Amino acid sequence: MNPDDIKYHREHAWVRVEGKHATVGITDFAQQQLGDIVYVDLPEADTDVDADSELCEIESTKATSPVVSPVSGTVHELNDDLADSPEIINEDPYGNGWIVVITMSDPSEMNDLMSRDEYEKFLKEEEER
Amino acid sequence: MPTRLTIIGAGPGGYVAAIRAAQIGAQVTVVEESEVGGACLNWGCIPTKTLIASTEALELVRHSAEFGIELTGDVRYNLNKIRERKDRVVETQIKGVRALLKSRGIALIAGKGSLLSEDVVRSVQNDGDTQDIRSDRIIIATGSRPALVAGFPFDGETVMTSDDAVQLKSIPKHLLIIGAGVIGCEFAFIYRSLGAEVTLVELLPRALSTEDEDMSGIIERELKKAKIKLITSASVVTIGKSAGGVLTASLTNGQEVKTDAVLVSIGRSLNTEHLRLEEAGLAAGKRGEIPVNEKMETNIPGIYAVGDVTGRMMLAHVASHQGMIAAENALGGDVRMDYASVPAGIFTRPEIGSAGLREHQAREQGIAVRVGRFPYRALGKSHATGEIVGLFKVIADAATDRVLGVHICGARASDLVHEGALAIRMGATARQLGEMVHAHPTFAEGIGEAAEEVFGMAIHVPGGRKER
Repeated sequence: MNPDDIKYHREHAWVRVEGKHATVGITDFAQQQLGDIVYVDLPEADTDVDADSELCEIESTKATSPVVSPVSGTVHELNDDLADSPEIINEDPYGNGWIVVITMSDPSEMNDLMSRDEYEKFLKEEEER
Repeated sequence: MPTRLTIIGAGPGGYVAAIRAAQIGAQVTVVEESEVGGACLNWGCIPTKTLIASTEALELVRHSAEFGIELTGDVRYNLNKIRERKDRVVETQIKGVRALLKSRGIALIAGKGSLLSEDVVRSVQNDGDTQDIRSDRIIIATGSRPALVAGFPFDGETVMTSDDAVQLKSIPKHLLIIGAGVIGCEFAFIYRSLGAEVTLVELLPRALSTEDEDMSGIIERELKKAKIKLITSASVVTIGKSAGGVLTASLTNGQEVKTDAVLVSIGRSLNTEHLRLEEAGLAAGKRGEIPVNEKMETNIPGIYAVGDVTGRMMLAHVASHQGMIAAENALGGDVRMDYASVPAGIFTRPEIGSAGLREHQAREQGIAVRVGRFPYRALGKSHATGEIVGLFKVIADAATDRVLGVHICGARASDLVHEGALAIRMGATARQLGEMVHAHPTFAEGIGEAAEEVFGMAIHVPGGRKER
């Protein structure tokens, strides 16, 4: 079930905001598409990232795919648990499977993201295309 | 009377030249100061691959649960037994080479060879006795040794070259490897598997900088997965030793790395200083290399050079092939060395196999190319065996479609690449390579798919969204 307290990006990433900090992960749809995740190539702390550009890469048994950052800012914190247990993303994409926390440089970017209902509608449209 | 051929050095260049020359009918003498087989057999290719076989077995056991195998108890290794196995393999191979030389009636003289004139080789034995060997033809095949850095406190145990590291005397808690080339990267995976924390420092911006960028990119990722730290665009200025035995390396980027041992693998020095080349009218180049043409001829008629001393591709199989070419030409033949399709293997985890042009070389040389890539994880065989990491890459001339380069990083890559080398050698096109039926389920299917992907026509990649 997709939570409704977070925002969604069209490249299947999500954001949960607390103050200036944005926790970022990939959606349940994304983890299902990827299949068994075997490695997350985490960025370095303090790296600057731009919205809509590559944040890191995820390797699954099916493919190597970029994770696109939904917001701009600086990487503040990494989920170190993913180094040894990348499968947490498959098990709990919206909870323990978070990937990074970004210190946002432009919180207004949140307005460009989708609500849960909008994201689910978007998924449906994508599927029908 | 048969031609008297003297070869200085019994490594993969020298001993192969000796056998080929004996096959043709020469009276062959080989002067070797150490053991037959050279660096390859004694300190390089063979011992390291033997160690890698042990660490691969260890990794497989560690991951046995993925294959449904449940082990009870601890997984441990015995360093003495790993080392003994390595020594046994090397010893068997040495005996094999000695037996081959003997069976061909080749005289093997233990001594340090040098030139007295253009037709006399002097061998100086360890006890000081000398023997002068009158020769109609001479092949120089004295090889190379690990390059040292002046000022580093080499002691063979904590500050090592690859000749020391392969002896595996102990596994340090932390190992700093200077140079992330072929040797540095291979040892990084070996020592990491055996429990050392490993840091690699590389002067250039990427690991394995002579390889195709896609290949070194995969290895950089795999280093990360193995928790091997890679520091690029930096070099070590000094290595200091403190009272507690801890070493401190100071880097050009200001970083300091504390470590228990250091492996210096920054390249190799050529063994030409003691040959007295000038006595025969030969002159070494800037790096000490002996210039040769495609027939392996030096500037002095009757004197040939093969292997690392020629300063070309420093690979055992190149030395061997040059050795055969030199032997045939020394005995009246007319054959030439072709480097364009030479394959090479790097035994990282996973392996790299490469032949021909890298994509960045094509760019630098202004050759327009089309490239096909195909990932290992799209193969059924990869999933069946659990070896899903890797990439096949075929580089074809955009104008003629001829295959110019084949690069593979993944399981069995060093074996698989030979199909690519043959394609380059025979002047095959990417279309022809793709048209050839590849057996299922094999890793080799990936070469066929990558060749098809030169035209965007690989079967087992998703359509629609274009791969990067």
